[in-house]
Amino acid sequence: MATTDSIDITAAQAQPDSKTRRYDRQLRLWAASGQSALENARLLVISGSATSTSVLKNLVLPGVGHFTILDPANVTHRDAGNNFFLEGDSSIGKSRAEEAVRLLAELNEGVEGKADTSSLEHILDTNPGYFASYTLVIAHNLEPKLLARLSTLLWADDTLPILVVVNSDGFLGEFFIQFHEHTIIESHSETAPSLRIDKAFPALYDYATSLDFASMDPTDHTHVPYVVILVRALADWEAAHDGKAPQTSADKKAFKEAVQAMKIKFDEENFDEAEAQAYRCWTETGVPSDITALFQDPQLSKLGPTSPPFYHLLDALRQFTLLPPHTLPLSSTLPDMKANTSSYIHLQKLYKTRAEEEKATLKGFLTVPIDDAMVDSFVKNAHGLKVLRGKKWGALDAEPASLASAVASSPKAAATHLALSALSSVSSPTPSVEALTAAAQALLPPGIELPDEFSDAVGEIARAPNADLPNTAAFLGGLVAQEVIKMITKQYVPIDGYCVVDLIETWTGMV
Amino acid sequence: MSTSDWQDRYYDIDQVLNTPGPRTDPAFLAGDGVKDFLRNQAKILVIGAGGLGCEILANLALTGFKDIHVIDMDTIDISNLNRQFLFRQKDVGKPKAIVAAEFIMKRVPGVKVTPYFGKIQDKGDDYYLQFNLVICGLDSVEARRWMSATLVNLVDPENPESLKPLIDGGTEGFKGQARVILPTITSCYECSLDMLNKPTAFPICTIANTPRLPEHCIEWASVLEWPRVHGEKKVDTDDPEHIGWLYTTAAARAKEFNIEGVTWSLTQGVVKNIIPAIASTNAIIAASCCNEAFKIATSSAAYLNNYFMLIGTEGVYSYTFEHEKRDDCPVCGGESLELPISSEFTVEQLIELLVEKQDVQIKKPSLSTPTSQIYLQAPPQLEQATRPNLSKKVKELVSEGGEVTVTSTSLPFSLSLRITYTN
Repeated sequence: MATTDSIDITAAQAQPDSKTRRYDRQLRLWAASGQSALENARLLVISGSATSTSVLKNLVLPGVGHFTILDPANVTHRDAGNNFFLEGDSSIGKSRAEEAVRLLAELNEGVEGKADTSSLEHILDTNPGYFASYTLVIAHNLEPKLLARLSTLLWADDTLPILVVVNSDGFLGEFFIQFHEHTIIESHSETAPSLRIDKAFPALYDYATSLDFASMDPTDHTHVPYVVILVRALADWEAAHDGKAPQTSADKKAFKEAVQAMKIKFDEENFDEAEAQAYRCWTETGVPSDITALFQDPQLSKLGPTSPPFYHLLDALRQFTLLPPHTLPLSSTLPDMKANTSSYIHLQKLYKTRAEEEKATLKGFLTVPIDDAMVDSFVKNAHGLKVLRGKKWGALDAEPASLASAVASSPKAAATHLALSALSSVSSPTPSVEALTAAAQALLPPGIELPDEFSDAVGEIARAPNADLPNTAAFLGGLVAQEVIKMITKQYVPIDGYCVVDLIETWTGMV
Repeated sequence: MSTSDWQDRYYDIDQVLNTPGPRTDPAFLAGDGVKDFLRNQAKILVIGAGGLGCEILANLALTGFKDIHVIDMDTIDISNLNRQFLFRQKDVGKPKAIVAAEFIMKRVPGVKVTPYFGKIQDKGDDYYLQFNLVICGLDSVEARRWMSATLVNLVDPENPESLKPLIDGGTEGFKGQARVILPTITSCYECSLDMLNKPTAFPICTIANTPRLPEHCIEWASVLEWPRVHGEKKVDTDDPEHIGWLYTTAAARAKEFNIEGVTWSLTQGVVKNIIPAIASTNAIIAASCCNEAFKIATSSAAYLNNYFMLIGTEGVYSYTFEHEKRDDCPVCGGESLELPISSEFTVEQLIELLVEKQDVQIKKPSLSTPTSQIYLQAPPQLEQATRPNLSKKVKELVSEGGEVTVTSTSLPFSLSLRITYTN
């Protein structure tokens, strides 16, 4: 038995520092790389409303680098009642931005907060360069004309910040992320990469076919990993069947029986695992279709030294897949399986060695230097790569045909979206159901009717045309912050379109 | 209007309390009556002052609940500060319920929050009967089962006031759920036990003989080595020295077996069964819970029927559905659970099955028939007296179709089984 003091491992060195301890529960989701992206991000939030501060709270806590609240208003009686980041009636009359920044900054000493009491209109008129230093801009219930100007300004150039538009009223709300392009390496896909049992690499094939199952020690026999059993069983099968894997259901049944027949004792669980995983022998490992689709990306045809590293890696991956065996590079991650330590670790080494070799092949296709950590991550996550192309805010409402198809495919969510769009297009502070319905109808092409669900949504808007409810604010605050974290860390997959929320029946939907 | 309510304090909320919407129950009495109930009469209990609890308390206070009680048995840890926004560095080590209550009362004028630093099991029926609503923001399955069963047991058909709606929230990483339970009327927490993910369990022989993963080495250190070296002393997972010992012990074993990947963080994750947690998911789920509480308390809009599930890893995906009540639910169903077993099954195997079975999951069950005791976990004399039954076949003790009652000290209910034999 090993004694701990004979080995050079000390607890003191390994114990995390206080910052790591503070962020422990989130580092388990987005790791140090995600955290560092968050800490380098600069947010601009337009207005210090209850919804705005709810969003910010969820970004200050995990440690975003900087936030500015842009808001010329002073705290009103109603603000003091519905916003947790104001100090009740004692904040009334003070600057809403300054009060909110003071109380939000208190949540995390590592975050820098700034209040700007200028007006957005004045900035748009006089200083359009104002926005360039931010990573992302969030706007809540912004006046439609200013929102249109802001979104056009930020859309003009893809180096300008991402814009998140949040609109809410009463129990209803929606938000939209305006971005040109978003590439994701770490999508945290829940599907595991292929073990490539059907296309065993030479070292694995040689190992599996060299084992002498018949004269093996019985304990070792019970601990041969299922991956090795299957590679061997498949090799034996192919040798007897003109080099073909099992094809018909009779073949597959016979193959499974052959695996069972390899047992020397009835309770060898490794062979049961092999039987359960036998489908891997006839499910051909290829390049997943959504990855193949990425190879058609226009960025690849105009690839040059200044293209983002992601596309250089994607092009290297494309070239890699042209080589036999026409798969993605091997993943070095092996799931747990019935095996003893030595056979499992041996198999793990075979996979690691091969994965390193394939990574080196892929690197050989790169024409620009890219740091190793990024290449590692790209190869490891190759099966979950994503490229999202966004739209300008307002594009949907400007395309009656797209709206009509949204109404047809997701009527409930589309109805809520139309009701909220109608609210921002009418000028009355207390619009009637009729006026809102007319405004929504005007967005649709002639002859297309509003969905049945529209009356439920518009009735809520007319009931409370001007309500920033604390629960709705908190709900949207959570959802928006979640998506902002995904955009900033480039991990997980953000929404694509409008996310619509109805807190009466409690559902979310996408338009 | 109470003195702390400045003019227009509830300008936003009053819009939905002054007027009904298209989906508002016709029984809704818009206006002063509902406001008075919400602000001057409603009494609400929050279980948990952690990730969800902090959010729940803030939302309830802002929406106008003024008499809020909160129970939590934990103290504040530094790893709470990334999301439990009522706590600061200086509060580390203090009781969550007390610090949270003070913060809310300071921030939201006129709201009274009464904390209890202790266990939910410390309180009896009379305590729970005083509330109109209960919201749970817990991370423990045991505590939720206890709370749900307690509120089901509280229901007296003669007294409608005894039915306390329970709103339950839970999160894990980017995922979460919120649900409304009307005890005895809708599906209760126990009805949905089979929806829980199975906890990862490593077979003891793997841990002892054939470790393959860093987790196996950590389990070895905590389950086998710790008791061997430290005897009766239990691991304190909050003590860095204990974690340090487990880490070095696990790392040494990993080195011996050429296994990579034992880290401090993984060691802590495995021994504490850490679930990733972030402010944003907690905000969504807590808001949903409080929104249901608000709608139930005011009837201003229909409430959730009855389960909202959120998955935020890929886009925003959610699913709202009605979870069905289980007729054989041991808490609210009334019918016994049919359990077919082999006639070769021993009592010990039956106990193992009850511990593992997804819809039962009873730790340390005691078993009896209407006429005799099969096996009792406590007290020690009875445990000793019934222990010989463990190796007996169930069939020797229970006839075909016979009733077996299962109890456990961790749960305030008993499970009734009807045993049938498959051969």
